[in-house]
Amino acid sequence: MSDNHYDDGRRETIKIIGAIGIQCAFPFAGDELYGQHQHPVASRGADPGPPKFFNPDQFAILSKISDLIVPGAVKAQVPNYIDLVVRSNDGHRKTYTDGLAWLAEKNFLKLTEAEQLAILEPICVAVDRGETTTLEQKFFRAAKNMTADGYYTSRAGLVEDLGYLGNQVLAEFPECKLDEH
Amino acid sequence: MPSEVFDVVIIGSGACGGTLAAHLARAGVNVCVVEGGPKIETRTDFNTHAMPYEFPNRGIPKMRNNKPGFDTERSRGLGGKSMLWNAVAWRFGPRDFEGYTRDGVGYDWPISYKDLAPYYDRIEREVGVCGNLDGLEDLPDGFFLPPAPMKCSDILIQRGAAKLGRKVIHVRKATLTRPKFGRPACHYCGNCMAGCDVAAKYNSWDGHMRPLMKSGKITLQLDSVVFDIPVNAENKVTGVKFVNRTTLAQGEVKGKVVVLAAACVQNVALLLQSKSSRYPNGLANSSGRVGKDFMPHFTGGVEAFLKPLIGKQITNDEGFLDHAYLPSFMHTQKRNYARSWGAQFNYQNRRSVGWARALPGMGEAYKQAVKDRYPSYFVFSPYGEKTPDEKSYVDLDPGKKDKFGLPEVRRFLYWNENDMKIFRDMQQQSRAILEAAGAEIHRVYEEPRPNHEIGGTIMGKDPRKSVTDSFGRTHDVNNLYTLGGNILPSASEKNPTHTFMAVSARTAEHLIEQLKKGSV
Repeated sequence: MSDNHYDDGRRETIKIIGAIGIQCAFPFAGDELYGQHQHPVASRGADPGPPKFFNPDQFAILSKISDLIVPGAVKAQVPNYIDLVVRSNDGHRKTYTDGLAWLAEKNFLKLTEAEQLAILEPICVAVDRGETTTLEQKFFRAAKNMTADGYYTSRAGLVEDLGYLGNQVLAEFPECKLDEH
Repeated sequence: MPSEVFDVVIIGSGACGGTLAAHLARAGVNVCVVEGGPKIETRTDFNTHAMPYEFPNRGIPKMRNNKPGFDTERSRGLGGKSMLWNAVAWRFGPRDFEGYTRDGVGYDWPISYKDLAPYYDRIEREVGVCGNLDGLEDLPDGFFLPPAPMKCSDILIQRGAAKLGRKVIHVRKATLTRPKFGRPACHYCGNCMAGCDVAAKYNSWDGHMRPLMKSGKITLQLDSVVFDIPVNAENKVTGVKFVNRTTLAQGEVKGKVVVLAAACVQNVALLLQSKSSRYPNGLANSSGRVGKDFMPHFTGGVEAFLKPLIGKQITNDEGFLDHAYLPSFMHTQKRNYARSWGAQFNYQNRRSVGWARALPGMGEAYKQAVKDRYPSYFVFSPYGEKTPDEKSYVDLDPGKKDKFGLPEVRRFLYWNENDMKIFRDMQQQSRAILEAAGAEIHRVYEEPRPNHEIGGTIMGKDPRKSVTDSFGRTHDVNNLYTLGGNILPSASEKNPTHTFMAVSARTAEHLIEQLKKGSV
């Protein structure tokens, strides 16, 4: 973990001595009971699988929208995650089918990206202000929530984009170096 | 189960039951711990280190390998909620024991800080509590392992608070910062409330009961959900009746003393459902006060982004969640309410980015805004003390039953005028401190949210107004005790578990004497 922010070689006591997915050797093993423990090997990401709720046309529109909300969402399989959530939550189904029908009527996928954004951005502004009265607003609120949830719980979003560094085994908690920057 | 009559039957194996069982066993008392759930191994049974993307629906199940039976809602399982707690460990301060005398609201305790202090000492010395010696009257110092260093965000808040004359201190936790008691030190993975896989964080099994198992004085009766505490013609309880949580077969354990330590609201429910001709309104309820005086902590909350950290490089600052604390400072100030509040912060780990939903915008700009704010996200969570009122209570649902056929519990909560004054003050002052620290306010919670459950069978000197004495012994039945949040006559604003454990240690000593004298 030489790229770790804290492992600057200056504070010698602070060393990352293990990472999740390997057998941890504790620096101060208490006894054989706790000193060695096996972390489960992290899988490369559980695949939410192909869409089962949305039909291909709906799924194509949903995919476009989630990628407009968070670029990279499709690559992170966020639409598949949304399908999984929606198919197991009765409460969300109508919001999505209504919203996607409204965009299908507008031939959403045939529009240029500028035209697509011209439809979505004003709704986004209203939704961010807290308005969720119209069908379009309700749909966008749900789509933005689930896109954010899906992306920032994916490996691509949480680890590769945001750079999540937690869930490690540290010998000591590092002192803050706030004033040194 | 053999027809053995145990010295003490304890219902529940959490912080209270575990502390009591260990202290009694050490003195040679023969104890049976009746636990509603299965045995939990902290090393192997939790998904402590899992990441959300390992699961298709991104929800991390608490238990690994679909370990059955551990009901995380009621925390049925060996160790109870001590398996999943955040381990904050304050001593209550002297003022917390005399709320009525000081404010004219609520109740005084039948004991003072001085009565409990030796037991706080004992708990700290035997389970390990880290913290700093701060010399504060309201947060008495104790025997501490070194504190974990503060996070950068804590230091920013500390500086902001200092501008307003407020102090921010190191948190105190029952988490080892040095290896001790055969348990390793914390490794700062940030997943404390997902079950600590090395037991650096105290839990009642690894910290109290397991080391005493070799004494042969602790019998575990697992998977046994208690549904009745029978009382005999001599007004003594005789043991407990339980149902096996999977086979639903019924059984009974007999004891000279029964201690109900199944967590606040469950304790109340068990008393209410243990009806008999002598106690038609529930066991030990001749006062009618069982279920009353329900006063859980309430939290407010302000989510913010600390400007000095916006756009900075992300660091691994998960630690053991919260590392700092804003102690109550109100007792010496002029204010328009009784009691006080204190604030925890930063107890969310960085796996959780739920705040991104509410950040405005979409597209690359939105994504960049989330990334910039990620290192700066901060939750400020003040905890207030609720004072009792007749509209806040617990009872049994007359209709609904759970899977064991036991009545469901209903919680009725009312935020009285004093509660709301505290709530508004803590919201306003939290914002002020955050702004002084240079923060962009993200979201302010509009309603109080209940937290640590307190009250329901409070201790007191007057048997008409309280249910137990200071040992948790019920006024009505002299061999029936209860331990937990339910017996606290006031909640203070402080996380209560250390006090539960200190009270349990004191009750253990009392029980050892009583059993020696043969007076129970």
